Amino acid sequence: MSNGSTQNGDVFENLKLELRRGCLSLAVLTQLRTERYGYTLRKALADDGLEIDEGTLYPLLRRLEAQGLLVSQWREEEKRNKRFYRLSPEGERVLAQLLDEWQRINTSLKKILQEAELGAKL
Amino acid sequence: MSESSRNPKELVDRYLQAVRFWIPKSQRQDDLIAELGEDLRSQIDAKEEELGRTLDKNEVSEILKRCGAPMVVGARLGPPRQLIGPTLFPIYAFVLKMVLLWIQVPIFLFILGPINLAYANGNWGGAIAKTLSEMWTAGFMAAAIITMVFAIVERSPAQAAAACKWDPLKLPPVRKAERKVSPAQAISQLIFGVGGLVWLLLLPQHPFLILGPAAAFLTGAPVWHTFYLPIVVLSALSLVRPALALARPEWDWFPSVAELVQAILTLLLVNFLVNAAGGHTSGADWHPYVMLTEAAKSSAQYIRVAAIVNLSILISLVCSEVGLAIGVAVQTWRLLQMLRKRRVDRQPAPLPVR
Repeated sequence: MSNGSTQNGDVFENLKLELRRGCLSLAVLTQLRTERYGYTLRKALADDGLEIDEGTLYPLLRRLEAQGLLVSQWREEEKRNKRFYRLSPEGERVLAQLLDEWQRINTSLKKILQEAELGAKL
Repeated sequence: MSESSRNPKELVDRYLQAVRFWIPKSQRQDDLIAELGEDLRSQIDAKEEELGRTLDKNEVSEILKRCGAPMVVGARLGPPRQLIGPTLFPIYAFVLKMVLLWIQVPIFLFILGPINLAYANGNWGGAIAKTLSEMWTAGFMAAAIITMVFAIVERSPAQAAAACKWDPLKLPPVRKAERKVSPAQAISQLIFGVGGLVWLLLLPQHPFLILGPAAAFLTGAPVWHTFYLPIVVLSALSLVRPALALARPEWDWFPSVAELVQAILTLLLVNFLVNAAGGHTSGADWHPYVMLTEAAKSSAQYIRVAAIVNLSILISLVCSEVGLAIGVAVQTWRLLQMLRKRRVDRQPAPLPVR
């Protein structure tokens, strides 16, 4: 019994991770339409209900930067060096495409869920 | 008083130093550490602003704990490090399995193991231990070399290009579904099995059924008194397989299990028969399987024929033993494959994540 629930828990965690992975990239790109540095970006995401730890955010930022979707710059602010990120022109183009795709998936998913609910009621 | 008690923020530097240790040295190491340090200090600043006072070392420690253990954070921040990536891994696993299970194990089981046993001078335990130890060392070396070669290939630019070079037209044809024992096959096995059993039961009274005209001057050696009954029992048991294939066709696992059990029992029996030959004296008195009748004992020609027949039987038995040993290995492998397939079939397939 406990084995089964542990396995189900693991399955849920893995599926949640997969679900979050794509969403996080989208959320980070969207937030970086405004220039931010790491901490303020994490805070903004957390305030909107999407917690992300340092070990996930910084590798993601580097990957997005390596893909040419972000540009970064070290700058001094409040007597401390901070690395500021913002969307690159390519990032803006890709973000628009991703948001379209997101809307399409969201609409389909809503439709599927409504159909499933209707089916369950019948 | 320690440095961190006087200045709790010094804990951050110590933490960053520990994280740095786990990140590969590169130009990015400083960059990553600086950015993580900035994030942590911003968290401390925000908390201090919220509380209206400076944080003590326990509160700073809490922030660092939440961030994660240095090794874990270092591993996450650093570039992904895979010895062998997902593209090459299936080929790596296949090659490793082929070399270790299909080449090395048979070599040690059928060639080097018997050689060690032959030179053991009765020290069987020592010979087996030596074979196992050599097999372990060779396996370890083979696995290390294969892993090293694949790790090098993984880092070569040709690898990525090779992954794209494939042609759907060159894929192997679809394999036919696993063939079950057909009723006709089972019936014929049953008929021949019963016939064989009857033949075996008639042998003691009618030795010409196996010796032919030589039954006039040859007779079975005492060894058959010991092994006759087990051979008859084994033959009778072999009838169970086709009988159950007919009666319970849904037991698709049974033929494989029965074949394996039958092969193991036959192998044991043949091994005892081969060993029985060793207990007899050599030369003219060497008659482990067939003996001359009293009337023929004085004929030099019959003595020669008896020696040739005994030697032929021994060679046949040794060859059968080797064949059966290979058969047992193959049958075991097939059974394990079948069990694994059944287990996999019961589990839902994971969705590929891109």
